[in-house]
Amino acid sequence: MDVLTQLAHGFAVALTPLNLALAFAGAFLGTLIGALPGIGPVNGVAILIPIAYALKLPPESALILLAGVYYGAEYGGRISSILLNVPGDAGAVITTLDGYPMAQKGKAGEALALSALSSFIGGTLSVVGLTLFAPLLAQWAIRFGPAEYFALMVFAFTTLASLAGRSPVKALASSVFGLMLATVGLDPGSGVPRFTFGQLKLYDGVDFLIVAIGLFAISEVLVLMEQTFLGRGGAIRVETTLVSLKTFLASLWSILRGAAIGFFIGVLPGAGASIASAIAYTTEKRLVDREGTFGQGDPRGVAAPEAANNAAAGGAMVPMLTLGVPGSGTTAVLLGALMMFNVTPGPLIFQNRPEVVWGLIASMYIGNLMLLVLNLPLVGVFARILAIPRWFLVPAIATLSFVGVYAVNNSAFDLLFMTGIGVWGYLMRKFGFPLAPMILGLVLGRLMEVNLRRALAISGGDWGILFSSPIAKVLWILALLSLFFPWLVGRLAKAR
Amino acid sequence: MNPDRAVGILLFLLAVGYGLEALGLEAEYLADPLGPKAFPLLLAAVLLGLSLLMVAFPGPGAWPGFPAWARQGVALLSFVVYAYALVPLGFVLASSLEVGLLARLLGAGWAKGLAAGFAFALALYLTFVFGLGIPLPLGAWWPG
Amino acid sequence: MRKLGRLAVAALALGLFSGAGAFSPGNVECIAPANPGGGWDFTCRSVGKLLYDLKLVPRPVKVTNMPGGGGGVAFAHVVAKRKGDANLLVAASPATTLRLAQGKYGNFTADDVRWLAALGADFGVIAVRTDAPWKTLDDLIADLKKDPAKIAFGGGSAVGGQDHMKVLLLAKAAGIDPLKVKYVPFSGGGEALTSLLGGFVQVFPGDASETIEQMKAGKVRILAVLSEKRLAALPDVPTAKELGYDAIWAVWRGFYMPPGVPDDAYDWWVGTMRKVADSPQWAKIREGRGLAPFFKGGSEFEAFIKQQVKDFRELSRSLGLIK
Repeated sequence: MDVLTQLAHGFAVALTPLNLALAFAGAFLGTLIGALPGIGPVNGVAILIPIAYALKLPPESALILLAGVYYGAEYGGRISSILLNVPGDAGAVITTLDGYPMAQKGKAGEALALSALSSFIGGTLSVVGLTLFAPLLAQWAIRFGPAEYFALMVFAFTTLASLAGRSPVKALASSVFGLMLATVGLDPGSGVPRFTFGQLKLYDGVDFLIVAIGLFAISEVLVLMEQTFLGRGGAIRVETTLVSLKTFLASLWSILRGAAIGFFIGVLPGAGASIASAIAYTTEKRLVDREGTFGQGDPRGVAAPEAANNAAAGGAMVPMLTLGVPGSGTTAVLLGALMMFNVTPGPLIFQNRPEVVWGLIASMYIGNLMLLVLNLPLVGVFARILAIPRWFLVPAIATLSFVGVYAVNNSAFDLLFMTGIGVWGYLMRKFGFPLAPMILGLVLGRLMEVNLRRALAISGGDWGILFSSPIAKVLWILALLSLFFPWLVGRLAKAR
Repeated sequence: MNPDRAVGILLFLLAVGYGLEALGLEAEYLADPLGPKAFPLLLAAVLLGLSLLMVAFPGPGAWPGFPAWARQGVALLSFVVYAYALVPLGFVLASSLEVGLLARLLGAGWAKGLAAGFAFALALYLTFVFGLGIPLPLGAWWPG
Repeated sequence: MRKLGRLAVAALALGLFSGAGAFSPGNVECIAPANPGGGWDFTCRSVGKLLYDLKLVPRPVKVTNMPGGGGGVAFAHVVAKRKGDANLLVAASPATTLRLAQGKYGNFTADDVRWLAALGADFGVIAVRTDAPWKTLDDLIADLKKDPAKIAFGGGSAVGGQDHMKVLLLAKAAGIDPLKVKYVPFSGGGEALTSLLGGFVQVFPGDASETIEQMKAGKVRILAVLSEKRLAALPDVPTAKELGYDAIWAVWRGFYMPPGVPDDAYDWWVGTMRKVADSPQWAKIREGRGLAPFFKGGSEFEAFIKQQVKDFRELSRSLGLIK
């Protein structure tokens, strides 16, 4: 099979000592960078581009290094999510929902190990998908126009309903906060600045990472201060045992479903790990959460989104390689890197520079494996972070957050904004508003509004365009089903 | 007053403020029929509705306490000061002080906090500047 | 680190007294007013690297990303805080001048900085899908005149941005009411291209560099290039001008410097940029990135910029984009 021979060539490229070393270095650095709150994979990759350039590496080697960092950062982001309730990047937000409770219950080791395994499976499966179906998937991605994206976002939004918890009103309000934040910035459909109050910095909108760090990390600092003051919450008893086979097998289906969802959503340019992990989590919750354990530390609530976000990272490579279009923020940076090395991604890259493409794909297999090998033994080390006394851990979290945010843009304004959001997040927590819908609202909000207006611009105001294509219709039906799911399930249960 | 009611009222005001700001958006040229106002107005309306629901159907009436408010206030103030002090003081000094202060607020002694803060700040500085190649402020007092 | 640089420059300047006020670069910094991966970032990194490789500067050029406000944050920072810093370059392009013209950088104007040079240019193109009914630009214009609402132009810029302006410019040149033309804004050329391929929009008013690959793959047909002369990379594609539509859009890539930079330093930089532009290494990078040769420096460039800002302002006003 042609694909397999190409892949074999790719492995030949990827398995050279230099490239193996680079893959390892990238994975390791990426994990470190991802674990630091405030520096996400986008910045991590961007930081290393000049280094890769300065080292005069051939394009395929540079790409292997950078992709390793990308993957590594995806893995690393989980660490701070699970241990500190601070998402390292957009894809890690959902992991905090069950990962942090697991750590609080002393099961940090299990959460970290399960997350590593799920990520490995999700990542590897997505690379297989990429290998076998890249051109086909490109065709799938192309069929999503603004109307279809809007429908997808609506569907994603309805799945958030399952995150409602005790108070649907507050959860919805929380998502509205996020949606409102999303409207801040220059409006692309009219060129008019909205809610920027004269601040040039806000023209490009509110930075997701700053909001995430502020909302989660800074509020966590305030919460921990309060708990310490009240004499509550001493050091947590930390179990560093890895995940048991039983738990792993019980989560297997969640992993597989999460990987599938993550991959197909990751393939769509513009829809990335955050949406993928959100949909994977909420889908799992609907399908398997019988006793309401999701949100309290259910391993499957970690497995599904983790598989999904790594699968999405692999999926995002599809549009990048086949169309030359970034599938996510990080692939946009990778694209820029490729162009710096005079490799032009696009439909012809498979013909013109096969060694780059297949070398990259092969190294993704290797990278995933390396990350698993790197991370599993380190689980014990990472979990011990929780044993650090509060008086140091809390300031450390705060300082890490500051440096992470500041290092990216050198802006005092960012720090102040982050602090403000942190206070807001703290108040939200005190008054019973869940945090996750807000951050997801921020991500979804932009995509929803922008695509709705694009669709209407194309149709000249005809709302019918939103329902015209088969894909859109399917998504709307899914959205309806998703909204009424609990009611349906209740009815079906009664009928039995 | 019931806390949910109070929050509901605040959110009502937020919705009104946001909505009024949105109404003031003028666009010369529109690519799409909705324009910049539509979505924000929709959100304002939804939030308005939700806030009224909260006022009408409040949950249980317990106000959350803020027992550590003084310390939290000091911490927040220190964050603001930190943001402005980073460049003049330099990363290492500013962060050492910040960690020291926060550690003190959490019950550790000054000496322990500042020492740990310095070690941590130095380690971070070295990692970022030399390990990752990201510049961090050196401090205006640094010679040169 | 900056203080160190200035001290070094001062020391060097003093030490090189014999050089009759000759300027010598110290720790050069290049600010890219955007996130990594974009055009400005590329300009800083590639030219910065070349400056060092060609030994025109003593130490590697430090690239700082300062996104925000579409370049406005960096502009404000440079004008307010970096006066006279002769070791600072800031990446620029028509995106900068367009925003200045539209007043998007607050109260700042083009006169607030010293415009250094441009080293290469990408050009706007009008592209359609290969299976589209229009084989030439004239076909497209004819259909557009008949029913503007049927044809959607999908570009990577927001309303008022470069891709939008190209469309409006073309419409004006073709005698079509620009306000009747349908423009759909996407977040970047890549997204707009994908939309074109998916058939959701019919025309892509992008840049040559981002469209060439798709054209080579047979997916897209470039109807015209918005340049004075045909591009070396696209010898078979006519210019809009030669077809009778006077619409030019050159996406030059260049730099500006802070206000108050002394003339000797400024002149030195102009000369240095010329050296970079003439170097074979730059030609290679340029070609790899799909940029055509284009050089303007010093006072010629300043005049070019002033004129461009004026033209953009008039155009934006006439199109109802600004008051």
